[in-house]
Amino acid sequence: MSMLRTLIPFDIAGGMALTGKYFGKVFFSANRKKIRTQLKHFTQEYPEVKVNLAPRYRGRLTLLKDEQGEIKCVCCLACEKICPTEVITIEKGKKEGRKMPFPVRYDFEMERCIFCEFCVESCGFDSIILNHQFELATYNREDFSIGMEGAGQNMFIPSPVGRHSVAED
Amino acid sequence: MFKNEEMEINLGPQHPSTHGVLRVKLRLDGETVTHCTPVIGYLHRGVEKICENKTYFQGQVWTDRMDYVASISNNLGWAEGVEKLFGIEVPRRAKYIRTMLTEQNRLASHLLWLATHALDIGAMTVFLYAFREREYLLDLFEAFCGARLTTTAFRIGGLREDLPPGFIKKAQAFQDLFLDCVDEYETLLTENRIWKKRTIGVAKLNAEDCIALGVTGPVLRAAGVPYDIRKAFPNAAYAEMDFEIPTRTEADTYARYLVRLAEMRQSHRIIQQCIDGLPEGPVMAKIPKILKSEVNEVYHPIEAPKGELGYYFVGEKGGLNPYRMHVRAPSFVNLQALPKMIEGRLLADVIAAIGTLDVVLGEIDR
Ligand code: SF4
Ligand code: SF4
Repeated sequence: MSMLRTLIPFDIAGGMALTGKYFGKVFFSANRKKIRTQLKHFTQEYPEVKVNLAPRYRGRLTLLKDEQGEIKCVCCLACEKICPTEVITIEKGKKEGRKMPFPVRYDFEMERCIFCEFCVESCGFDSIILNHQFELATYNREDFSIGMEGAGQNMFIPSPVGRHSVAED
Repeated sequence: MFKNEEMEINLGPQHPSTHGVLRVKLRLDGETVTHCTPVIGYLHRGVEKICENKTYFQGQVWTDRMDYVASISNNLGWAEGVEKLFGIEVPRRAKYIRTMLTEQNRLASHLLWLATHALDIGAMTVFLYAFREREYLLDLFEAFCGARLTTTAFRIGGLREDLPPGFIKKAQAFQDLFLDCVDEYETLLTENRIWKKRTIGVAKLNAEDCIALGVTGPVLRAAGVPYDIRKAFPNAAYAEMDFEIPTRTEADTYARYLVRLAEMRQSHRIIQQCIDGLPEGPVMAKIPKILKSEVNEVYHPIEAPKGELGYYFVGEKGGLNPYRMHVRAPSFVNLQALPKMIEGRLLADVIAAIGTLDVVLGEIDR
């Protein structure tokens, strides 16, 4: 019996059959649009097709403004204190016609941020979020120092919100 | 004409099959390994020292970066260790969710192990199948906590947020499909004659040696010792779960492969029980805003995919951060079995031995 098993490669045949099954599935559906849309693909053609991100995705830090266009942050410095890599620097200041303190400077050193969302969690005023931006590479190191001003990146630039959620599929 | 000399070669640190930056100094006599020294430290970041300078709350982010393929297990160890230090009781729902995520993470880790181990030995196909399922799991982690690898999933006292809507449904969809997938891996490998030739009897390590070297996890269980922290010192919700500890007695690479596959099936069972029995209630315990420790020390072990992962904390009076923090990393301890496994064997078996130990260098070097 064992001799027979050695002579006839059942084991290899089993593996080949499985590979053949998947090959057949892809081969026969490759050029038929109807079937292709039904198949679940696990690879995504990323730069052409934008990735789907979960609503809780943790991307770049963004400062929020309220309905009147006022910065929501009131400089309680909770986020600065909790940040494990100490990348947030806030300078307190005053603004005419505003009772609460106002951040004159809000600097964020993105190259050391580890996207942990502790800052968002500690903020009791919901004035920051981590947005859904993940294509953060730049050519210059200075571009990672993000402040309230700045042409390329600044703390207010929103990002596309993830369209995808687990509730949908 | 020919001189009969032993030759010393370096395997790694950039060799793709050393799973990171492990360097192994080998002395070879022909193709036989006569001496082997693993050289580590290329990825040292000083995690333990950093954590001593950060608060208990902040320290968790460094645990993600130790064993980066099983970061949820590391988070669990950190969170439960700190809770033990402060005597915090976690709500039952949080415990169940923690258990479920940790088991899913175990699956993800074992899948990565299966994929890369098979790839090292020469079976390319399994890699694609295993990564297909791992992708599914990483999507679940992303839905739960917003990151795929560096999860920072838990908080001291429970969880940050409850499960997102639709999570259970998607997790159940994975459950329905996963057992068939394990059968597929088995079809490709278990009876395959090349796989058997490359693994049976390779890198043996018997039970006495395992215990003497402190080796834990699937390597120990494949030597016939049914030691699993989930049963021995139940943490999270494992005390309420019904599962078995798979063991084998052959203590070789093939046995470890079978043990890990059996463990995947058991993890699947635990996740199913978590989904079915998920209790209602809060997910966060009431804890003070600032945690100040007393003079105290705790050691908290959990069963990580690689073995016993232990966190050791020493607290000082009124301290915001640990006075001393130490991690008993399973890969670090398991790696010392490597010379024992391969000395006197062939060079090609070194690759199989490194793969079967399932080491992650981020955890070894810390
Ligand atoms: S995400 Fe984490 S590292 Fe980044 S700024 Fe916030 S707290 Fe700091
Ligand atoms: S925690 Fe919120 S309100 Fe306080 S300083 Fe940071 S962003 Fe501003």
